[in-house]
Amino acid sequence: MAKQGLKRQQNRMAAVLLLPGLLTVLVFTSIPALTTLSYAFFHWQGFQRGSFAGLENFRRLFAFPFKDQLLMAFRHNILVFVGIYIVQTSIGILLAYALFKAPRGQRFFRTVAFFPVIFSLVIVGYMWQSILNPFYGPVNYIFHAIHWDFAAQTWLGNTSTALPTLVFINLWRWVGFPTIIFLAGFNAISTDYVEAARIDGATEGQIFRKILLPLLAPSMTIVTILTFIGAFEWFDLPYVLGGSSGGPAGATDTLALMFYRLSFGSVDSGANQIGIGSALGVIIFAVVGVGATYGSKFLRAREVEA
Amino acid sequence: MTKMQRSLRGLLAAAIAATTIVVPAVVSSSAHAAVELSFWSWRPEDKAFYEAEAAMFLKSTGISVKFTPYVATDYNATLATALTAGKGPDVMQIRAYGGMANLSDAGNFLALTTKDVPALAKVAPGMLAGAQGYTDKQQFGFPYSTSVLGVMYNPDLLSKAGVTVMPTSMSSFLSVLQKVKAAGITPLGNGTGYAPGLEQMWGALAPAYYGGSSFFNDLVAGKKTFTDTAFVASLKAETDLYKYMPAGASGLDYNTARGLFANGKAAFYIGGNYEISYFRSLNPNLKVGWFPGPAATVGGRRYVTTWADGAFAVNAKTSHKAEAIKFLNFLSSKAFLTAAANQLGWIPPLSGITSSEPAIAQMQQKIPTMGTPFLTLVGFRYGTPTSSSIMQPGFQKVAAGTQTVAELAKTIQDGVATWYKPLAGK
Repeated sequence: MAKQGLKRQQNRMAAVLLLPGLLTVLVFTSIPALTTLSYAFFHWQGFQRGSFAGLENFRRLFAFPFKDQLLMAFRHNILVFVGIYIVQTSIGILLAYALFKAPRGQRFFRTVAFFPVIFSLVIVGYMWQSILNPFYGPVNYIFHAIHWDFAAQTWLGNTSTALPTLVFINLWRWVGFPTIIFLAGFNAISTDYVEAARIDGATEGQIFRKILLPLLAPSMTIVTILTFIGAFEWFDLPYVLGGSSGGPAGATDTLALMFYRLSFGSVDSGANQIGIGSALGVIIFAVVGVGATYGSKFLRAREVEA
Repeated sequence: MTKMQRSLRGLLAAAIAATTIVVPAVVSSSAHAAVELSFWSWRPEDKAFYEAEAAMFLKSTGISVKFTPYVATDYNATLATALTAGKGPDVMQIRAYGGMANLSDAGNFLALTTKDVPALAKVAPGMLAGAQGYTDKQQFGFPYSTSVLGVMYNPDLLSKAGVTVMPTSMSSFLSVLQKVKAAGITPLGNGTGYAPGLEQMWGALAPAYYGGSSFFNDLVAGKKTFTDTAFVASLKAETDLYKYMPAGASGLDYNTARGLFANGKAAFYIGGNYEISYFRSLNPNLKVGWFPGPAATVGGRRYVTTWADGAFAVNAKTSHKAEAIKFLNFLSSKAFLTAAANQLGWIPPLSGITSSEPAIAQMQQKIPTMGTPFLTLVGFRYGTPTSSSIMQPGFQKVAAGTQTVAELAKTIQDGVATWYKPLAGK
């Protein structure tokens, strides 16, 4: 009887403690998400909601002229995910391994690797814009100085280099984040496995590939899912460097930029379309939600195998 | 309870009663005595000017004004969110034509009459249209400045290149650009990296090719389309100039481009009157000459593209309506507009105010005889996709060689026809 009373009291306490978190999620995530979902099914005149539109906004999103923009933005999001995932994760693992293997000065180098993450993204954007400026930027200046004129590009102005340049800047800023996660992953691996392998005559390379890397799977799951979500919601950096139209000529356009443009309009080119913007919001939500859920399930299953 | 405790309780009760009664009365009386209007803008660079003007307004009326500027690119979203939530400033700077017609049609701005703001009666109809509702045609703002597009030049650089006579036709303009290039000077400061600048450059050159206001009226009426050969020729006129831009023009952002001209590194800059105050901020001693976009053929007609840059409006839900109207009348006064003309480079909508900047004074002179509306901005920014949203990245595609001007014209036509009924199915 006393045990049941205690249980009830614990449940009540748990509910009280959960309430602020649940309310925050409800007010700032669930209700806005459901509201956006409802917006997608109405006609809009600016910020005024009109009559019920059914699937009309979705139909318009997949028709001329939005369809081409949508497909191009979606393709960019995929490229960004693949690019960031391959390069950032690889460098992150290597940096984490270097920090893991070199305890001397580890704290200092860990801080150095993580430092750019704490910079304001707007500052990072403008800093790189200046560094890469084709007229006074130091990058092209150095290329010209060493007579590598072929390498001096208009990095952010060329439709073929703009997106890879943005991926590079993102990498520079974010690589410290997976590094710290992987370092925590390496530190969590029992030294027994490594020592046993060493006694069996395994080389450092074999230990890295056959023992450490497979046991890093939980960290890999976290990094993969976060990279996926970040890549499909990529907005801030392309907005700072390419504007809301994803310039030049849409070369850095993403789904989130297109959503912003449709929902709020653009200063220099005009009107907004909340209904179509909300329809796109629903699609982004579905892509990220489904991708993150199934990706997480798949990767967790692999963790068990490892 | 001791006597001491009783008297302490009594004192406490008296103090609470006094606070409850007296404090709100004091607050209320001071609120009536000193009204503070909130005033929003997208021009952080004009803060000092507006604050000095607000100080003068306070001196003459006793009404204080708090000027709050926001980043230009976030202003529409910030203002829309505030107004839709029933909040927002008492008075605000608003964008013209389709820029904020959505907000006016939603009833966010106070409808104005000439009784409220007598200066409205002195503004030309084309300018007034910049601050009228798209559906109800109600006047919701006072358009404060005319924007003018044209060609600005650096006389010192041109004389170094041996150019003494300003071009009047496109063929002579191209010859001059070639001559300047041959002299080792960058002919044009403009770049293709800043997409809105490409539309403005087109705006300065295009009317001479499509025929100004008569084509504008025919297009608005649906009698002509964006695929008209004259319109396509106007697009080509701009792209023919790309080879005179600096090397690496595709990576040239707006400020770097303007900086090239302001610092004497480029001979011409095609843009608006609003660029001049920026040039001056970088180089106060810069000499700036100006001429209207060249004629398409020798002896052909020339035009000056104009539009209302923006307007001042009053929040329909303001609790200080009388004070806000008073401030709006101050903002539309000759004294304020003269100060703005001289300090901010405005071209006021009231006659008799001439800018002290020679290039701007020259623009003012040409408006009555050469003025024509900025086609894409005035006519086709009321639905999605706007002609501007297709044209701006479209020019960048033409510059990158991934689209032709004819394809760009067709995309604009098909895009605008999805929402603009007079052009549908054409």
